Amino acid sequence: MRALYTAATGMAAQELNVQVISNNIANLRTTGYKKQRAAFQDLIYDHVRRVGAQASDQGTIVPVGIDIGGGVKTVGTPRLMSQGTLAATGNDLDIAIRGEGFFKILMPDGTFTYTRDGSFQMDATGRVVNAQGNPVQPTITIPQNASGITINAQGQLTVTLPGSTTPTLVGQIGLTRFINKAGLQPIGDNLFTETPASGVPQDGIANTDGYGDMQQSNLEQANVEVVSEISDLIAAQRAYEMNAKVISAVDQMLQSTSNMFR
Amino acid sequence: MQNTLLVGLSRQVVLERQMDVVANNIANINTTGYKADRSLFEEYLASGAHEDNFANSDRRVSFVQDRATFHDFAPGPTQETKNPLDVAIDGNAFLVVQTPAGERYTRDGGLQINNLGQLVTVSGYQVLGNSGPIVFQPTDHDISIAADGNVTVLEGTGRIDSVRGKLRMVSFAQAQQLLKEGSNLYSAGEGSAAQPTTTSQLRQGFVEKSNVNSVTEMSRMIEITRTYTQISTLLQSQSDLHKSAIEKLADVPT
Repeated sequence: MRALYTAATGMAAQELNVQVISNNIANLRTTGYKKQRAAFQDLIYDHVRRVGAQASDQGTIVPVGIDIGGGVKTVGTPRLMSQGTLAATGNDLDIAIRGEGFFKILMPDGTFTYTRDGSFQMDATGRVVNAQGNPVQPTITIPQNASGITINAQGQLTVTLPGSTTPTLVGQIGLTRFINKAGLQPIGDNLFTETPASGVPQDGIANTDGYGDMQQSNLEQANVEVVSEISDLIAAQRAYEMNAKVISAVDQMLQSTSNMFR
Repeated sequence: MQNTLLVGLSRQVVLERQMDVVANNIANINTTGYKADRSLFEEYLASGAHEDNFANSDRRVSFVQDRATFHDFAPGPTQETKNPLDVAIDGNAFLVVQTPAGERYTRDGGLQINNLGQLVTVSGYQVLGNSGPIVFQPTDHDISIAADGNVTVLEGTGRIDSVRGKLRMVSFAQAQQLLKEGSNLYSAGEGSAAQPTTTSQLRQGFVEKSNVNSVTEMSRMIEITRTYTQISTLLQSQSDLHKSAIEKLADVPT
């Protein structure tokens, strides 16, 4: 019976749904994490009796047909790129983006990756780097004896040098936008890479032309909402159970058929 | 005498198909914008015997056959997602989707943007506005979709809304004529054309969940299983009857 395989597609889909939800919950406290959601669609239908077909030579048509569906498929796990709440940290090199845009990171292999995680550090040479030690673009080197690091909304990084009363501009952290930011590919470590679906990266300056602004000493929290994740989890678990029940119901029917003749 | 078997069989075949429909509903219990299917049955009267010289007139035998599955277009519950690209349709309208096979219709409002900035479904098909696909510019942000389908954005540093198009919403005089194509898409059946509608409204930041009612489907499933088992038992006793008839009547003395 087809119902057996239909229910199996349902169980597989809900299993994946639970996986996506558990990853969201696991990343509840991950800086700059964007939640995902499993998107499902129905599978193709078997049109046993086609709706609208001629029912007689008098021109009457079949008002409703017989369509038997084959189950469900997972079509994607789109990411919800909404703004996460900002949390103050007091750390000079923590930056949160409020609005559109990603930080651009130069990887050791020369490629660029993009992130919303603005928890930056200084490395041994004074460069502003991310948690993996890869420099933020454009590369900014903070002088050894500098103090009072200030980053303004446009990403301009100024420091106070000894013997000077006016702050010195040492660089400007850029932002990158994508027309389809949900199309970026996650590679772990809070990083994303460009894909054919995301469109080409557009570098720009924060707080101008639709780019978001930068908030120093803040970090962007994950945009996961526990309550909705837990209710989704309950719904997924129940849906899984119901599909399992269908399988046992079909099993019972088949059993009664095979017991019919002794 | 054979009629019992055949009548029972006709019911079991129909029950199997009904089970397929229930299984598909349950499999799609978490599918955005999914509409449940229901089965309809009808009686099929077999013609009586041609000879009418029996003591009692020959009685006609009725079989079961499934006539149709119809779509239950009741609205599904809406879930808040806070995603600006999610829209739930409040009313009987459908969104229009451009596929390689032509225009298709959907209730699944979980939309995305593609690499060209076009508004698309999760499968990547363009969602049509009143004047073609809706395209966003690279500097657009704060997308807003009004209840009537008007899509506006803030462009760059501007503070004034720019219009990017108006989502086309259509309805059908005879929605039952719609054909489910899979992938949350419907195609218009023969003789039913899409009519523009203004009575439905869009809710941005919400998605319409599947309208499958788990309690109904579960009880229907139990009903199907029990009926199927009952008929199996019926057929079994019929078979026993046959067996004993053969044994008793054809008891050839040795």
